[in-house]
Amino acid sequence: MDEPEDGDLPEAVAVAPRRSRFSPIWIIPILAAAVAIGIAWQRIASEGPTITITFKSADGIEAGKTFVKYKEVNIGQVTGLRLTDDVANVEVTAKIAKSAADLIVEDAHFWVVRPRISLSGVSGLSTLLSGNYIGFEAGASKTKARKFTGLDVPPIVTGGAPGRTYVLKASDLGSLGIGSPIYFRRLQVGQVVAYDLAPDGKSVQLRIFVNAPYDSFVTTDTRFWNASGIDVTFGTNGLEVRTQSLVSLLEGGVAFDTPATATASPPASAEATFTLYSDRSNAMKVDESIATRYLLYFSESVRGLAVGAPVSFFGVPVGEVTEVGLDFNAKTLDVRPRVAIVLYPQRVIARLSGPQEKRAMALVGEKAIRHAIVQKMVEQRGLRAQLATGSLVTGSRYVTLAYFPRLQKSRVDWSAEEPELPTTISTLPEIEEKLGRIIDKIERLPLDAIGEDLKKALVGIDDTLRDARGVINHFDADVVPALKAALEDARGALGSAERMLTSTEANLVGTGAPGQVELRNTMQELSRAARSLRTLADYLEQHPEALIRGKTAQPMPK
Amino acid sequence: MTSAAARGLVSCPECALVSRPVTPQAPGHCPRCGEKLVFRRENAIQRTWALLIAATVLYAPANLLPVLATTTIVSSSSETIMSGVIYLYASGSWPLALIVFVASIVIPIGKIVTLGFVLVTVQRGMTTSDRQRTRLYRIVEFIGRWSMLDVFVDTFVVALVQLSPLMSVDPGPGVVYFMAVVVLTMLAAQSFDPRLIWDRSTHG
Repeated sequence: MDEPEDGDLPEAVAVAPRRSRFSPIWIIPILAAAVAIGIAWQRIASEGPTITITFKSADGIEAGKTFVKYKEVNIGQVTGLRLTDDVANVEVTAKIAKSAADLIVEDAHFWVVRPRISLSGVSGLSTLLSGNYIGFEAGASKTKARKFTGLDVPPIVTGGAPGRTYVLKASDLGSLGIGSPIYFRRLQVGQVVAYDLAPDGKSVQLRIFVNAPYDSFVTTDTRFWNASGIDVTFGTNGLEVRTQSLVSLLEGGVAFDTPATATASPPASAEATFTLYSDRSNAMKVDESIATRYLLYFSESVRGLAVGAPVSFFGVPVGEVTEVGLDFNAKTLDVRPRVAIVLYPQRVIARLSGPQEKRAMALVGEKAIRHAIVQKMVEQRGLRAQLATGSLVTGSRYVTLAYFPRLQKSRVDWSAEEPELPTTISTLPEIEEKLGRIIDKIERLPLDAIGEDLKKALVGIDDTLRDARGVINHFDADVVPALKAALEDARGALGSAERMLTSTEANLVGTGAPGQVELRNTMQELSRAARSLRTLADYLEQHPEALIRGKTAQPMPK
Repeated sequence: MTSAAARGLVSCPECALVSRPVTPQAPGHCPRCGEKLVFRRENAIQRTWALLIAATVLYAPANLLPVLATTTIVSSSSETIMSGVIYLYASGSWPLALIVFVASIVIPIGKIVTLGFVLVTVQRGMTTSDRQRTRLYRIVEFIGRWSMLDVFVDTFVVALVQLSPLMSVDPGPGVVYFMAVVVLTMLAAQSFDPRLIWDRSTHG
């Protein structure tokens, strides 16, 4: 092995160790950054809108603890609470989940769900455990919104419920409130959803919601009335009590119905406006656009006749008394009762049959025709107003219109603003007068002479009776012995009949009776004959040839 | 005062025995304890920086995500570290709030800031207050493990309160990130070579 010389060898090149500029340790911060960015991205991507809701009070709302729920599902959480700048309300900030972001539109509603106990029901009981939450009702709009005003009370009708909203105008709210029931034939079909004062402050507007399919019963002719409480009427028809359900007694309610006369009216459109009447009878009155006022002057006491008392025509209420007063005649210095009435011809027409109703309606529209009809009634038929007693108990009276053809002719003077309708004295005083006349006649009867005649008649009767007794005596003497002989004969006949019956019995029924023996012998003979017949039948069955050949000798068995 | 490295000697990082290296490139092993000898830890500054940055990045989710989710039959709530501290303070137990605050907020932030400061000064070649910086580093290294207190409490509560379905406590995602922050800062502190602090001043 040669030792190489040092000088021959090349010098090794010293290469400075290459310092790696990047240590693999940098993977750790890069990973960490990736994770952090991932989390941030996820957060931002799932971030829903933040909305603000203004409430009157933040009762039961806590930041970070109160949820926003839609159909009882959490869709968000309250993130902050603050007073509004004017310190009147509370502004609640809530973060809504991205999935529910599309529901947050302008006409969405928010309200605080807390336990509520009212006469019409208990709601929100779950919040007793879970704490209050913010209820949410999606709207129909497409425009997104971020600022809302919270409702004080939960909406009664949720947006999706089928049905229609109507507007009722009432003079006052009565005992109605939000949630008051709407009844149709005592069936709850809807609710009052809102109310407010009319802009002029003279009436109250109620918004009601009638659920489908009952909304189809609300027609353009439908009448609504306040069904709150008890409606007690003590009138000429006696005591009348009307109520709806017990709930409406306590809480109030609205009822509606369509008068029977309006059969073909079309269903009312949504948001249609109706009048809310104070009670059913007011509501159900037929259309009374045509009203004629008359004055009646009576010549008797009008005690018991009150304002509002009905005016009836053939028993049909056609109007009412509007005023009860007196009239002073300056010329004759006479005072007499004056009664103002109002007549509604449409009430009469409403009772007519269909085609007649239409024709009459066309006629009654014209004043001249109306006057002519009344004039004819008064002039030719003798139409008169008369006081009548409605109830003997209460003494209340009403005005009745009836024909009195025998009364002297009268006319209606149409020139007066309130024409006078002729009257006649009421039937009750008339009866009194007739009774008086009867009593007079009784008084004038010749009672003494009648008594004398009666006495004579009685004597005659006495004689007659005496004659009758003679006849009876004669009967006793002559007729009775003959009757006795006849009876004895009859008894003899009965005795012979009895004997005959006894002999018959001995012949037929007794044990040794000849009839019985004969019968038994006959029966025995008969059974013997039957037996030989059977033998013959058996033989013939085995030897049918015997019928032709006669009986052959039996072969002897071996 | 010159350092061992400046005289061509190497000190054992484990038992601190100063010995002559086999060659300057590969100093070999400690004759006393057998530990591998290095003049200075390889890429110490770069490593420490990497781990420190990772810890800083993860500190954000650790504080923003909930660490504890409490579910009762009627409600559920989740707490982040800071909201937990606020809750403890608000409910009156301020000493507990202070402990949690120090262990979970002050110490991790302090560690990150201190290590960052030490690294910057070493890279800039700062020569003043070596002693203070060394002490800071020691404190960081010592105190690091105490940050795990939070994770410890969390696991305890989760294990103890499992009264399902009445009530249950579950760990939130934040606790994982928090743990990662603690571990990463501990590793960062370890991968730093404190000898670098005074290298420049002895060389200079």
